[in-house]
Amino acid sequence: MFSSRMKLLEAWHLSRLPYKEVVYRSIAEERGRMWWGGFGRGRVGGDAQNDYELTKKALRIAKFDKSLVAIFNVLAAVMPFTAQLFGSPTLGLTSAIALSLAVTFGFTALYAIQTLSSFVSAESSALLSTLPLEQNDFSMITLFSFVRSVDYMVVGAIISQVLMVAYYTLSPVAVLAMLVASVMNAVLAVAVALWFSRVFTKNLSRGGRSRGGTVLRLFFILMWGSLLMGVSLLISLPWYIVPSLEMTLLSPNQLSTMLLCFLHPFSAGITVTNISQSVTAGSTPLIAAVSMLGYVVVAGFAGKWMLTTVKRISHGTDVRASVVTATDFSIKTHKPLFGYVLKDLKVASRNPATAFFFALPVLETVIVSFMIANFEVLRASTLLVSTFMGGVFVLLMPLALLSAEGTGLEYTKTLPMNVNQIITSKTLISTLTYVPVPLVLLVMALVKPLSSPLTLFIPFFVVLAVASASIFEIQLFLSSVTKGKIAALLYDLKKLVVGVTTLFIPLAVYSLTYLVSFNHILAILTMGGSSASELALAVHLLKRNKK
Amino acid sequence: MHQAIVCKSEFCINKTLLSVTAHSKAFTIRSRCAVHVSAPLIEASELTKQFGSVKALAGLSFRVMPGEIYGLLGPNGAGKTTAIKIITGLMEPTSGSVKVEGFDPIENSLEVKSRIGYVAEKPILYESLSSRDFLEFVASIRKLDQNAANRMVTQLADAFGMAKYFDAPIATLSMGLKQKVALIASLVHQPPVLLLDEPLSGLDAKSSRIVKDLLSLHTQKGGAVLFSTHIMEVAEHLCTRIGIIYQGKIVAEGTLDQLKSKTGNKSETLESLFLKLTNEETEVADKTRLLGDVFFKNEAA
Repeated sequence: MFSSRMKLLEAWHLSRLPYKEVVYRSIAEERGRMWWGGFGRGRVGGDAQNDYELTKKALRIAKFDKSLVAIFNVLAAVMPFTAQLFGSPTLGLTSAIALSLAVTFGFTALYAIQTLSSFVSAESSALLSTLPLEQNDFSMITLFSFVRSVDYMVVGAIISQVLMVAYYTLSPVAVLAMLVASVMNAVLAVAVALWFSRVFTKNLSRGGRSRGGTVLRLFFILMWGSLLMGVSLLISLPWYIVPSLEMTLLSPNQLSTMLLCFLHPFSAGITVTNISQSVTAGSTPLIAAVSMLGYVVVAGFAGKWMLTTVKRISHGTDVRASVVTATDFSIKTHKPLFGYVLKDLKVASRNPATAFFFALPVLETVIVSFMIANFEVLRASTLLVSTFMGGVFVLLMPLALLSAEGTGLEYTKTLPMNVNQIITSKTLISTLTYVPVPLVLLVMALVKPLSSPLTLFIPFFVVLAVASASIFEIQLFLSSVTKGKIAALLYDLKKLVVGVTTLFIPLAVYSLTYLVSFNHILAILTMGGSSASELALAVHLLKRNKK
Repeated sequence: MHQAIVCKSEFCINKTLLSVTAHSKAFTIRSRCAVHVSAPLIEASELTKQFGSVKALAGLSFRVMPGEIYGLLGPNGAGKTTAIKIITGLMEPTSGSVKVEGFDPIENSLEVKSRIGYVAEKPILYESLSSRDFLEFVASIRKLDQNAANRMVTQLADAFGMAKYFDAPIATLSMGLKQKVALIASLVHQPPVLLLDEPLSGLDAKSSRIVKDLLSLHTQKGGAVLFSTHIMEVAEHLCTRIGIIYQGKIVAEGTLDQLKSKTGNKSETLESLFLKLTNEETEVADKTRLLGDVFFKNEAA
């Protein structure tokens, strides 16, 4: 008999098994994940890889992946505090805490959703279910395997946030409050990710051909994608947001301040700061403290809900497939390319790990609108920078679409279609997600004056560059062979670098031409020429594909 | 010398008069249709496949003629799946050649892929799609006529009892149901060549019978089936010819009667024949004796 302490350790140790299974499935089934895509891709010539090697590789990549994301999460947690290190008069502790919590919430949820979907859908504990284990032990092991998916990044974020507050406040009570806020933040982030994964999996399991279900899923995708990417974006824009946020948070008894007091993570920011020093006057600190307490209670319930859900998952009773009897077996055939595009859209939108990429058009539009909103006149330089920023996000789309293919790509290889159709399909989808950007700019041009009418061609030229970049990225992805994690990482970076460079070349051509000639029209025309040349080169490379 | 031959195969795409040049020893095929006249639909010659230090295939050669169900029978790791993957073009051989209706799976991959229906050992499908979505995708890529595809899918799905599962995501289906979806997808374009890697695994008795009947119909139309299986009874009753593959090459080939005549015992079952031909009969007897010892010793203890 084990003591209860030993039992916990034993359960933690045993939880490695279902955890490994989840990790393996989430990586292996995506064959060529977005970032560390070198894994699992067939060698040139199509040799099958040794299963044992694949498993080992998957686990190595998962650990590497988890550590890198944890480091990134720690950096994201610390970054909002750094402005204070340089003695910025406008960036305060309140907004730094709030931003740090918001950003780590976003990243934790974003990462958790990548692995939790496998946890929810796969028979993650099927291996253990055949062993003579008690139900409670079985549930505990499953719970620990679930915790293992996010342990590094959650612990990293909590420790760094607590240390930063300790450094700035030197107040044990404030540190304790920060610890509570960080733990609560992590619990809520993981709970949201688990909830979302379950919603997706349940929707998928139900099946059927409900239009309502499709619309609902689309709504979820947009909501979720915008939320996560919006939060992630905060990290790149602290210099725009923090000063105004700090001013709002510190203004006593204003309606906006009062409203923020009720919202996590602002309530936590105000509470922790006010514990160490009184920075906010009026009833604001009290309201914020009560709100934070409310969120702690909510996090408690969320934790309890997670325990129950994980238990149900371990018992295999969480997601039930409902039977919808088909009344007919009719199918609709399409042109091959359209058929492939439709398949891509369906597959990617039904995978919670890739579905939020369909929120890219919304995000790009927001970025571009945000960046040009403050300018009186739409200048070429403004449009160049904003469209480039929007374009960079599109470069994630082809890789996400390839990740979503999963092992299904193996089946596609047995169909009479060549690799060009695969590339064209994914390029079309990626490029289409960028099309809203020039359209938004066209609308803006009706409101704001342009420095030159030709300026409006810039975003359309970027559309060509986006298409070329997508083709280059996918070509590289499909033709690659990599061994080992470092090689895979470098290779994936290379794909992104190639993509970004392709996007950047027309911009550079514009700038160089303008610097040499001071002729704005000539610069725009040469930019158009370079975008068209890139696309011509990409299409030429496509045509050279034999298979 | 030139001969004019009309291709009579039901699967022939081009039923025009063909031109074949006859030489003293063999025909040089000028048109792809000519292969239907008497040529094998699948021809593997001296195939080898090396995975690092492991030799999966070591000079595998066989032919599958029109109207034949050729059973590839062998122990685990004998090279059955590797051989089938090479024929589909999913894998390149280290050496040797394969022809499907006269086409090389690597050089003319589109020609081969449009002529084959393939069911993998473990059905690899798009798990998030429903069977309907998946078959729509397959039919679209194969450029099938909407009505013809509908007729075929309706008949097959109905025969396999798919009504309750047709709109459910493939991920939620059992192994047997996934196998049915893969089978429907492999048959929807009525290909002349079927490559089936353990196609009956996971199927219920009714569906298994339907598949066997379908394969018979397919060969009656002049099609060919390459069928890998571990189930001796299936090979015994379904296959017109059997090739026993062992350590990457065919060790015996022929009809069941021809194989039995090799051992000189007409009443022998395929299972014992198989064990004899793969030199595993003595080994199996030894292992069973040892296992028996362990079982009884444990009981006594």
